[in-house]
Amino acid sequence: MSVNKRVYRPYAGRYTSEKTRFLILPRYAYSSLFDSRFLLAFFVACNIPTLLFLAAIYFSHNPLAQAMLQMKGTEVFLKIDNGFFEKFLRFQGLLCFILAAWVGPGLISADLSNDALPLYLARPFSRTEYVLGKFTVLGALLSLVTWIPGLLLFAVQADLADWTWFSKSYWIAGSLILGSFIWIALLSLMALAFSAWIKWKLSATALMLGVFFALAGFGEAVNEILRTKWGKIFNLPAAIQLVWLDLFQVPMNSRFRGGAGDLPSWAAWAILLSFTSFCLLMLNRKLKAREVVR
Amino acid sequence: MSASPTTEFVGTTPAVDWQRRIRQLINIVKIELSRNFLTRRGLGMYFLAFAPVVIIGIHALESRGGRRCSIEQDTQILAGIVQLFYLRLGIFFGCLGTFTWLIRGEIVQKSLHYYFLAPLRRELLIVGKYVAGVITASLLFGLGVVLSFMFMYGHFGARGERFVFEGPGLSQLVSYLLITTLACMGYGALFLAFSLVFKNPIIPGAFIFGWEMISGVLPSFLQKLSITFYLKNLFPVEVPPQGLMALFTVVAEPVVPAVAVTGLLLLVIFVLTVAAYTARFMEISYSKE
Repeated sequence: MSVNKRVYRPYAGRYTSEKTRFLILPRYAYSSLFDSRFLLAFFVACNIPTLLFLAAIYFSHNPLAQAMLQMKGTEVFLKIDNGFFEKFLRFQGLLCFILAAWVGPGLISADLSNDALPLYLARPFSRTEYVLGKFTVLGALLSLVTWIPGLLLFAVQADLADWTWFSKSYWIAGSLILGSFIWIALLSLMALAFSAWIKWKLSATALMLGVFFALAGFGEAVNEILRTKWGKIFNLPAAIQLVWLDLFQVPMNSRFRGGAGDLPSWAAWAILLSFTSFCLLMLNRKLKAREVVR
Repeated sequence: MSASPTTEFVGTTPAVDWQRRIRQLINIVKIELSRNFLTRRGLGMYFLAFAPVVIIGIHALESRGGRRCSIEQDTQILAGIVQLFYLRLGIFFGCLGTFTWLIRGEIVQKSLHYYFLAPLRRELLIVGKYVAGVITASLLFGLGVVLSFMFMYGHFGARGERFVFEGPGLSQLVSYLLITTLACMGYGALFLAFSLVFKNPIIPGAFIFGWEMISGVLPSFLQKLSITFYLKNLFPVEVPPQGLMALFTVVAEPVVPAVAVTGLLLLVIFVLTVAAYTARFMEISYSKE
C-alpha cells in the first residue's frame, strides 16, 4: 500500500487506567535494571543483614540454642527492643543509600540526554506521573531493603514473644514504616534531581556520595574550627539518624546516639524537609516538555 | 648478492625512541591539564580543596590575635582537618572525580577513540593522564592546605610567626604537603585503574571509601591494605580517634616513614602497571555505555 493511502488510525488497543499509568515506567525500568549481574548480586546481598537480625531474634527466644552455642554475656545484643529495630534501619539505610546511588542517577539523565522527555509528555502522561513513575522505580526497590524486611522481623518477634511485648511495642512497626518512608523519599528525590540536572550518570553518582559524606565532613570541620554545633546542618546522615532515634524513642543517654544529639530534633526535621523541597524544586525546574537551545 | 631491504629488519626490534615518547607524554599532560583546570565540572573539587580555607579564614577574623584560641588547640584542629577532612574526604572524593573522569569521561563524551587512533602507546596515554591528574589534584589540595595553614597561624601574629619559622610549624607544613601529594598519587592510581575496569567506577570507589573509613578498627594486617594506614604514619601531629570508633580502634604497629613512602610508591607503580596493561586490551563500545 502506498504511503499516501495511509490515513490516521487512532490506537485501538486497551488504554491503561489513568490511575495506574505511572506504573508503566517502573515496569520497563525493572526489565533492564537487573541486566547488571553486579547490581543483582548487591541487591541480594542487601538482604543478608536481615537474615542475621532474624537469627538474633531466633536466638533471643531460644535458650537451648544459646546454651548450645555457649552465648554468654550477649544479652545486650540479643535484646529485642526499639533500639534493635533502629539499628536494623540504620544498617539497611546505608545499603539503601548505595543502592540509590547506583540505580538513581541513570533514571532521568538518559531520557534528557536523548531528548526523550517530549516523547513521554506528548502522550496523556503528566510531569507528575513521570516523576511518580521514576520515584516508584527506586521507592519499590528501597522498600524491599528497608520497611518490608523490617516488618517481617517485627512479625517474627511478635509471634515468638508474648502478647505483652506486642501490646507495649506495636508502635515500633509504625516508626519502622515512617522512618523508612522518610529515608526513601529523601534518597529517591535526591537521586532523581541529580539525574535530571547532571547529564552523566558517573558525575551524578559521585555528587550523591559527595553530598552525603564530604558535606557531612565539611560540617564537622565547621564545628571544630568555629567551636559550634550548627555545622551539623550540613550533615544529612546525622539529621536522618536523629529523626530515626526520635521515631524509635531511643533514650537521650544511650551511647548509640553518638554525636547525633548535638542538634535539636526540629532542626533535623527542618534539614530533611528543606532538602527534599529543594530536590523537588530542582526537578520541577528541569523537567519541561520543551527545551530552549541557545 | 646484496640483502633485500626487508631482510635487514627480520629479527631486529627498532630502537625505542625515548625522546619522541617523552614529547608525546608532555603533550598528553598539557592537553589533560587544560581540561582539568577551570571547568564547571571541577567546581566540586574547588569546594573540597578550599572549603576549610574559608572556614579557617572566618575563624582567623573572628579570633584575631588568638583571643579565643591557642596555638596548641589550633595545631590539633589543623591536624584533624588535614587527617579527617582533606585525607579521608576532600582528597578522596576529589581524586574519585578527577581520575575516574580521565578515561570514563572520554568514553561518556565519545572521544577516547581519537587518542586510541593516534600513533601513541596506550601505556603512555595512561601514564600521561595519570601525571596530569596528580599535578591537578596535588596543586589544588596542596594550595588548600597551605592557605589553611597560613590562616590558622597567621592570626596569632608574632607568636604564630615564631611557631612557624622557629618552631615545628614549617616541618609540619612540609609533612602535610608530602601527605597530600602521596594521597593524590595513591588514590589517583587506584581510581584510574577502576575507571578502566568498571563501567561505573564510583560504586567500587564507595566501597573503598567504606574500607578506608573502617580501616582503623580492622585487625592490623588488614589495616595495611589501606592507603590511610601508610599516610597516618607520616602525620606530624597525632589525632586520637573519638566517639564510638575509639572503642573499637586497633592500634597497629607503626611503620617507619621511609617504609611508608616506599610502600605507597610501590603500590602506585603496581596499580599503574595493571592499569596500563588493561588499557592495552581495552575495546571501546560507546553504545554499551
